[in-house]
Amino acid sequence: MEYCLDVSNLEPCEPLERTLAAVARLEAGDYLRILHRREPHLLYPLLEKGGFSWLTRTGEKTLFEILIWRRGDKSAESAALGS
Amino acid sequence: MLNTASLSLDQAPPISIPFRFFLTAPLFAIAAGLELLIFGSEMLISRWSPFTLGLTHLITLGVLSMVMCGAMLQMLPVIAGSPVPHVVLVGRLTHGLLLMGTILLKISFVTGSKPATLLALTTLGVGFLIFIVAVGIALWRVVTPGATIQGMKMAVIALAATVVLGILVAVGYSGIGNLAHLTSLTNIHLSWGILGWAGLLILSVSFQLVPMFQVTPEFPFWVKRHLPYSIFICLSAWLLLRLGFDQSSWIDSAATPVLTLAVSGYLLFSMKTLQLQSKRKRRVPDVTLLFWRLGMIVLGLCVLLWVGGEFYSQIGDTQYFSLLLGIGLIQGVTLSIINGMLYKIVPFLCWFHLQSRQMAFMCMTVKVPHMKEFVTDKSAKRQFYLHLLALVSTVAAAVAPELFVHPAALLFIASNSMLLANLVLAVSRFRTTFKLLAPSA
Repeated sequence: MEYCLDVSNLEPCEPLERTLAAVARLEAGDYLRILHRREPHLLYPLLEKGGFSWLTRTGEKTLFEILIWRRGDKSAESAALGS
Repeated sequence: MLNTASLSLDQAPPISIPFRFFLTAPLFAIAAGLELLIFGSEMLISRWSPFTLGLTHLITLGVLSMVMCGAMLQMLPVIAGSPVPHVVLVGRLTHGLLLMGTILLKISFVTGSKPATLLALTTLGVGFLIFIVAVGIALWRVVTPGATIQGMKMAVIALAATVVLGILVAVGYSGIGNLAHLTSLTNIHLSWGILGWAGLLILSVSFQLVPMFQVTPEFPFWVKRHLPYSIFICLSAWLLLRLGFDQSSWIDSAATPVLTLAVSGYLLFSMKTLQLQSKRKRRVPDVTLLFWRLGMIVLGLCVLLWVGGEFYSQIGDTQYFSLLLGIGLIQGVTLSIINGMLYKIVPFLCWFHLQSRQMAFMCMTVKVPHMKEFVTDKSAKRQFYLHLLALVSTVAAAVAPELFVHPAALLFIASNSMLLANLVLAVSRFRTTFKLLAPSA
């Protein structure tokens, strides 16, 4: 299942805080789509440590779109990559 | 698809490195305020008085450069993805030498002692050399430098020029060496320090920080691409014209417009920043924004004052002109922006390091405080109003020292004591949570 979070109008560190709170709620098969106006370089090491995988790409509504799922969750990964 | 390579946390320095710079700076500001309180109007007679020069360098070296060096060591891995080599050693040495060098320079200004001057120049020279080489390596390693990195490179070159010119001026005035044209050299030294080192660093960093922290639209491409270069080229051309020390009229008639162009660049920057800030997407109260706006408004006023003084002798020849310009640019612009940025950088670093530790240990039972819990808006706002009152009083003291110098000094001490207290409180909150976030928790 996809969850979407638009953090494009928030100031640091709210995008990071809200993203980390949202990824903590992801269950098997779930992935999170983050809509962001900047590339969140500081998010990546935190995701790495927390055991998540991600993909950053150019967004349609915002400049960046980050797809996040739990590392090793194949069904979430294929759903995210196919989205 | 984009490159999603993450930043290695190992690249960033430990939090103690930037914090030692940030916590030392208000102490020098308090010392400067105490000196102004004790010696009173004597400090504001002329920009050439040794007391005034000592006071100015307590602030430019002990406060402004202290924060700027600490922030650069911290920010380079984040903004450029390029770590400073041996950052812990470089941070410790730069901090220690800058701290000792500033104190020694102050002693040398007051006593006129040649050994103190030599020691101060050596300490500061070595400290800045270590910083410039290390930061220079990190900056020139960046493969595809953007506008911010290009601007930072020019700021670092300007720092090197400022240090060399400062050493030459000090050698000349102290009688250690025999140098001519010291007035011209001093003017070039201070122009490169303020317009080059401080100005270009603030300008280039603001391209990243203003849109990011204040959620404004981006600076236009032409501003980011051309403004830092244009200012740097004008400053360099002005330096070359002035270094000839030829007092012929054509040099004067060429040098002034060239410097006017550089200064106009800053007027454009201040107007553009204020315009972007007026288009904020999310209008929540923000203390840093107040400091930035104050800095940008004073920058615009300083440019107008400078242009007025340069072209109308009735303004330029008054005894207040240089003092007002110095107070405006140092206390009104640079100190305001640096003070405001500390309220973003310090809570952000506290929060980020704790968050990273929490994720590493997956210690989710401990709540990491929100950024605004490290320094509350209320206490930061109180300090902003103290800073504003101190600035207004210092400007008044430049014109009527007998009346305003003591209130100005007291307000400056109060403002910086409150800044120090706010930062110390943030660090103590960081330490408390850091201890709670243990693997066994």
